[in-house]
Amino acid sequence: MHSSRIKYLFPLGLFIALFLDGTITQAFAPEMFTPAVAIESRLLLLWLIMAVCYSQAEHILLWAGIAGFFFDLYYTGILGIFVILLPLVVYLTQKTYQFFTGSFIVVLLIYLIDVTLLTLLFYLVNSLIGFTDAGLTTFIARTLGPTLAYNLAMFVILFIPLKSLFEKM
Amino acid sequence: MQKYFLNKKLVITLVGLIVSFLLIAFSIMVRNNRNTPTFIQSFGNDAAGLVDRVVGYPVKAVRSAGASTADLLNTYHENQQLKKQVDSVAAEKATNATLRQENADLKKQLKLNKSLTEFSKINAYTISRAPSTWQNQIVISKGSLAGVVKGSAVLSDRGLIGRVTEVNKSNSKVELLSTKNDSSNRFPVQVAAKSGTIINGLITDFDDDTNQLIMGQITSKDKVKKGTKVVTSGLGGTTPKGLLVGTVAKVKNGDAGLPTKIYIDPAADFSDLSMVTVTLRKD
Repeated sequence: MHSSRIKYLFPLGLFIALFLDGTITQAFAPEMFTPAVAIESRLLLLWLIMAVCYSQAEHILLWAGIAGFFFDLYYTGILGIFVILLPLVVYLTQKTYQFFTGSFIVVLLIYLIDVTLLTLLFYLVNSLIGFTDAGLTTFIARTLGPTLAYNLAMFVILFIPLKSLFEKM
Repeated sequence: MQKYFLNKKLVITLVGLIVSFLLIAFSIMVRNNRNTPTFIQSFGNDAAGLVDRVVGYPVKAVRSAGASTADLLNTYHENQQLKKQVDSVAAEKATNATLRQENADLKKQLKLNKSLTEFSKINAYTISRAPSTWQNQIVISKGSLAGVVKGSAVLSDRGLIGRVTEVNKSNSKVELLSTKNDSSNRFPVQVAAKSGTIINGLITDFDDDTNQLIMGQITSKDKVKKGTKVVTSGLGGTTPKGLLVGTVAKVKNGDAGLPTKIYIDPAADFSDLSMVTVTLRKD
């Protein structure tokens, strides 16, 4: 009974998180994209990491790939970036998490490392295919810092609701 | 046994990387050349767009509630300013109507049926925006069913914002002018010099720090006054003539053989887009 509920709710929440990222970015674009800051909302990753740490959901890696594919398809139009990066980050989290217990601070640190990794790799791929010519310092000051701050805030706000949701299922 | 597993993982990683590179190359090719994306892309996008409209509804409601409160607070001040402008608007409208009439008459005399300035409009609202620093892309609510064509220029209520890069059945992607990308399709623009001659050029880049567009590929050495309006020239491609891009902020004269660059303050705000207009040239 318990495992069948997570079977449907996990993918559902995954796609809601995926679309919320875009909608939040659109609705708050005047604040999130200015000359000084560029914030990338990563609720999708938050959902995946919380699922890795606190739920019995199956095939998380596969779902990460599917969500990554839809991210590429719908937002950027360049297939093949998130479809690889997202499962990679989730895989690394799964491997790392075996050595820890799920306290707030541990998951927070894991999540921050994941966000950093994902943002950095996303930047590297984009500069490789000629979609940006921003330097590393610009990237760190304009994108990475604000993105980490925003996602940290989101993590703190959503940690308890998501944890209790996953543990109930 | 240990070695076998290590090899298996290595193979999976390598195959994954190769597939990823192939997909990237393939999608850039589709984006640059073909008119419509492949069936899978288009189908996935339409499905995603449909779900996104439902998910996005509450967030937009919250945002618009916030915006209305801010509007309410500003209204009195704004009203006073607007009152001053209203009188002149009426006079300008009358002049405009006369000029339009005259223009139509002249065109008739010349037997000129189609011109670069004429275009039809498709109004759409913005569904979503890519949560990415490197792709300044928005997803709009009209697609090929409404007649949107790849490469069309897109306007906000204040000026030019970008170009359609992908068209699906019920939604399409618009790449904003603020995108700095090697393969993006640059707009041909023109500006009037002090002497009255028209200078043609292309929007070649965007300056993130100052939020300004850069007009390059200029051959003329004529002086340009600050604050002059820059409009699309309609030369080459599918952009109508006369869409407002922005105003000249500064001119950087190239010495030692470097070309002149004109910095433009964009008329549109690239981060505040809720309604957009897709233009379709009539010729």
